[in-house]
Amino acid sequence: MNIHNYEKIWLVLAMVMIIGFISTVVYGATAVGIEMISDEPDTIDSTALDEDDRFSEPRVEKVGDNEYEAYVIAQQFIFRPDPITVPANSTVTFYVTSPDVIHGFEVVGTNANTMVIPGEVSQLTVEFNEPGEYGILCNEYCGGGHHTMEGKLIVQPEDEFEQGGNDE
Amino acid sequence: MSGENTVREIGHDEFDPKGTLVLILIYFVILSIMWVFMYFVEFLGNDLSVIA
Amino acid sequence: MSEELTGAPTFLDKFPQEAAVVRAALWSSFIALTLGAVFGIIQALHRTDILRVIDSTDYYTVLTAHGVLMVISFTIFFLVGAFTWAIVRSFDRNVEDIRYTWTWYGMMVTGTLMAVVAILGGFVDSIDLSADVLYTFYAPLQGHPLFYGGLAIFLIGTWLAGADWFRSWRAWKAENPDERIPLQAFMVLTTMLMWYIASIGITIAVVGFLLPWSLGIIEQVNPLLTRTLFWFWGHPVVYFWLMPAYLLWYTVLPTVAGGRLFSDPLGRVVFVLFLLLSTPVGIHHQYVDPGIASGFKLIAMTNTMFLLLPSLLTAFTVVASVEHAARQRGGTGLLGWLRALPWRDPAFTGMMLAGLMFAAGGFSGMINAGMNINYLIHNTLWVPGHFHLTVGTAVALTMMAATYWLWPQLSNRRLFSRPIGLAQVVIWFVGMALMSNAMHIQGLFGIPRRTAEPQYQGFDFATTFGSVTELNMQLAVGGTLLFISTVLFVGNIALSTGTPKLSGLGEELTEPLSAAHDSPEILDNLKLWFGIAFVLVILAYMLPLASIISRGGVFGPGVDPVPVIAEPIRVGIQPLVASVEPTVSRVIAVVGSVVQ
Repeated sequence: MNIHNYEKIWLVLAMVMIIGFISTVVYGATAVGIEMISDEPDTIDSTALDEDDRFSEPRVEKVGDNEYEAYVIAQQFIFRPDPITVPANSTVTFYVTSPDVIHGFEVVGTNANTMVIPGEVSQLTVEFNEPGEYGILCNEYCGGGHHTMEGKLIVQPEDEFEQGGNDE
Repeated sequence: MSGENTVREIGHDEFDPKGTLVLILIYFVILSIMWVFMYFVEFLGNDLSVIA
Repeated sequence: MSEELTGAPTFLDKFPQEAAVVRAALWSSFIALTLGAVFGIIQALHRTDILRVIDSTDYYTVLTAHGVLMVISFTIFFLVGAFTWAIVRSFDRNVEDIRYTWTWYGMMVTGTLMAVVAILGGFVDSIDLSADVLYTFYAPLQGHPLFYGGLAIFLIGTWLAGADWFRSWRAWKAENPDERIPLQAFMVLTTMLMWYIASIGITIAVVGFLLPWSLGIIEQVNPLLTRTLFWFWGHPVVYFWLMPAYLLWYTVLPTVAGGRLFSDPLGRVVFVLFLLLSTPVGIHHQYVDPGIASGFKLIAMTNTMFLLLPSLLTAFTVVASVEHAARQRGGTGLLGWLRALPWRDPAFTGMMLAGLMFAAGGFSGMINAGMNINYLIHNTLWVPGHFHLTVGTAVALTMMAATYWLWPQLSNRRLFSRPIGLAQVVIWFVGMALMSNAMHIQGLFGIPRRTAEPQYQGFDFATTFGSVTELNMQLAVGGTLLFISTVLFVGNIALSTGTPKLSGLGEELTEPLSAAHDSPEILDNLKLWFGIAFVLVILAYMLPLASIISRGGVFGPGVDPVPVIAEPIRVGIQPLVASVEPTVSRVIAVVGSVVQ
């Protein structure tokens, strides 16, 4: 088959670029350590969240030294707890689920962004450094009030958090 | 539609798409720079990457 | 597009009955485009908070209509029109049975009307009819059965259309056993093979689950399963939009430019690559979904990155063909030849601007494909920014530009106004550049897509290049220009029905520089490529689907429907279904575990 030399050059460059893109992504996954949302947590009965230890009471819980778990429910049209309060200098694993429809959980201005699918639990771990505040919004259409669905994520100074800033 | 505005006929063996090569190389460079910027600055430079 | 009469017969002269079907399909396409455009400008002004003429809850009805009308009706009606033209023209024979052709067209119209009526019912609060579920209709959001039924009938219509063209191929092959498949026909047939494979996912989702669920025949569905089946189809559908545009770039644009296609063989290779790679990638729309293992996401990412190849090759081949035209027209220099091109021709300029915009859209698609970088832009306004460049311009603008060239040959009438056509394509490009640029940047701030009011109480978006207000203005201005451009386009075509009938408007397509016989015959072995494509998609989807089903069950781990209508119709055969369900789940779980 007759392929012009210039097109052969481009074919090689195109393949180099494709391999380059794949390599960058693999670098991010390995060297930088970015994990994808996956199927690690078991499925859940979305009509019976109140029977689940984690979601019957959405909250942030300490599970180790500077290690926390946040159990979050996304539902029409709020996030629970609101605000979600975590301490600075911590590693927090979020578990997010929904009792009704598909939602999105996006910490605005960050890479923390996941789908929330009824029957499934989204698990994501992030590190918080300085104190501050983030907005949370739902970025998947979930019904007529979708545009009102927002929440807040507060990163408190460690001493303030210890003094009881971690209630819903 | 040749015949109307055609100044000369160019056959298969007489044609080297030099201009195309230049344009596609420019595109390649733009893509590479944009990719590096987007991945390393916008993405990796952003808060709260998911580590587990 | 020639002002001179070539004296050649047109498509209408040679195939009047087929020309009538093609015109009908194109009119359906343009009516959908017009209504979709009205909804589009309502959205652009509403979400930017510049002018709100509807309730924000009705915004989602508008958004559903805009999506379905634009990417289901407008694009696919155009495809069936263009493909009918391409098959009949390249085989140089009538369709096998014109009544059959009208039948599938009629089904597509019926299905569209059903779905659109269901959607528009959402504006009328007093009736139970609505489908405020958006173009993706993710369960547990539930629409009226008329919506799902309409989509199903529309889809079946497209399958029958494909069968029509395969029949033509079979008949032509019997009379031309030693010839290579003409390039246009090859492109049509490979596109349809891809479509049949892609349809598997959405057919199971709609006919197997969502339609019976909306009728009350089954009580619940597994949202992750139906969502995954949707995206099984949801990615290859974009190639169903793109491949007709590519067909026009490969087979019409060189002629319009005054040159010849650089390589027929490469065109075949590109379309075979699309057949093979378009479907086993759908999971790249689900990178941040729970319930799907990272390994499957990595495989989807790799397949998707290789799917860039046929588009990158197309860029070279198409630009080389245009360069050939320019040099034949007397153009010289390394880049100076660009000036020798027929920029006053709206068909030419429109397709060139569409291709240029696609270069940018391709880049934002590369980012979308990048698995972990998806965290940055998932479900933000970046995503609509991307697809308005690709389907919204590369495809839509090419379809409009090609119409300027094709319409005289379907109607024996000149275009009403070439200058307005030229203005129209330029306005589209400028409008889209403004709107899409604003969307991409707002997306990087985290501003979401699919929302009536991206203005929140508890926080502000942190901005870098430009304020949200400035970008909103840009978005609204861009959207307004697009609306004006749509009106100019449809108006021009409508007025063209009133220009005088002429004869001799026919335009022959030029022959490629590198011909079909320069390529290996195996490229024409459609059975082989179909077989490989089928195996690839089974490999890509078998394990993820088995995993979803074994983890959550065929009908879900306990999820109620959330109708966006008052009450679904109940059909009263639930006890029968309830008794069958556990067995079905068990069988599938066993298959899944054997497979793993």
